[in-house]
Amino acid sequence: MEAAAVDAVVDGLKKSGVDFISLMPDSDFSILQERVANDKDFTYVPVSNEAIGVGVCAGAWLSGKRPALLVPTSGLLVAAWPLTSLCMAWGLPLLLLIPYRGDIGDAFWLMGPYKDTTEPLLKVLNAPYSVIAKTEEISKAIIDAQGSTISWQRPVAVLLTGETIK
Amino acid sequence: MKRYECLKSLASMLGPKVIVVTNIGPISREWNALRPSDANLLQINLGLCAAVGMGVAVSLPNRQVVLLDGDGNLLLNLASLADLANQNLKNLVHIVLDNESYEGGGGLKSATAGRADLAAIARGAGVQNANVARTVEQFDGAARQSLANPGHHFIVAKVEKGSVEKLPALTLDGKEAKYRFARYIESSEGVQILRPRYTHI
Repeated sequence: MEAAAVDAVVDGLKKSGVDFISLMPDSDFSILQERVANDKDFTYVPVSNEAIGVGVCAGAWLSGKRPALLVPTSGLLVAAWPLTSLCMAWGLPLLLLIPYRGDIGDAFWLMGPYKDTTEPLLKVLNAPYSVIAKTEEISKAIIDAQGSTISWQRPVAVLLTGETIK
Repeated sequence: MKRYECLKSLASMLGPKVIVVTNIGPISREWNALRPSDANLLQINLGLCAAVGMGVAVSLPNRQVVLLDGDGNLLLNLASLADLANQNLKNLVHIVLDNESYEGGGGLKSATAGRADLAAIARGAGVQNANVARTVEQFDGAARQSLANPGHHFIVAKVEKGSVEKLPALTLDGKEAKYRFARYIESSEGVQILRPRYTHI
């Protein structure tokens, strides 16, 4: 992930009022993760799996924070169960920021299945999403998604692809 | 030792502002009977009590937070113990009512009926204050000490299977629980959670 894209993500998170970030360390977001971990504008809670991350974010939101979960496409599958049992059942908002590994153009064979799972899973989970391929569109997409998740009281995702995760 | 006796003892110790997060099943119903309050966050689904409680405790460091967890519930997401330990919390009492079974799910044995030792696992995960109570007196003492001292405390209460008769029905679903708890936090913390002014387009 290039520095301009990292800057754009952080800009969008801050402008949208996100003040709490949970994540499981992931190679595609590692530079971004290190950045938010060291930024005092964010309460940073690293977790050992993405299901825990959803739970942490749910507790944070109920306690007055504005959380975001940074989650890889593989981890979205792990997160699916609490996204169902907490976010869907309770009607909880959550901003999901996802590096879209497995999108068309991702040449790594192991990522291929996530093209089949990621967008259909978000649809099943009743989580609207936008797919962002241009760095200059990142910040506004995050701001829009955060506004929507708060208003709609359900998860909303931003999938980052193309140049944004190169 | 009966779970209800432990919870009754605990309820007598807690001030009205102590936030209590409980897992789904008999623990929620018993706790709701003993300490009905909007400061309770009840019926957290299997495996997620510690995670949700972590989010609450991290976000509200000036509020005391008690987690009422079950052995099966915690076993499903044991890694949450390690993640909790790394937060260095000063406001958390994590209680596991360990009946060595999935009582809410039919009663089959959990791993703690075998060789698993949740207090040892917690210590290994980095939780420094991890204790086991086998009598109500031991539980009472451990809970009082934990509540009186800032830190991250972990108590395994080894309890029998079985609940009490004639508990009031718990009619709350997650959506109502969300609004009640969030409104309570809004009023007690002076924050806005629901429908904040937000213009993004």
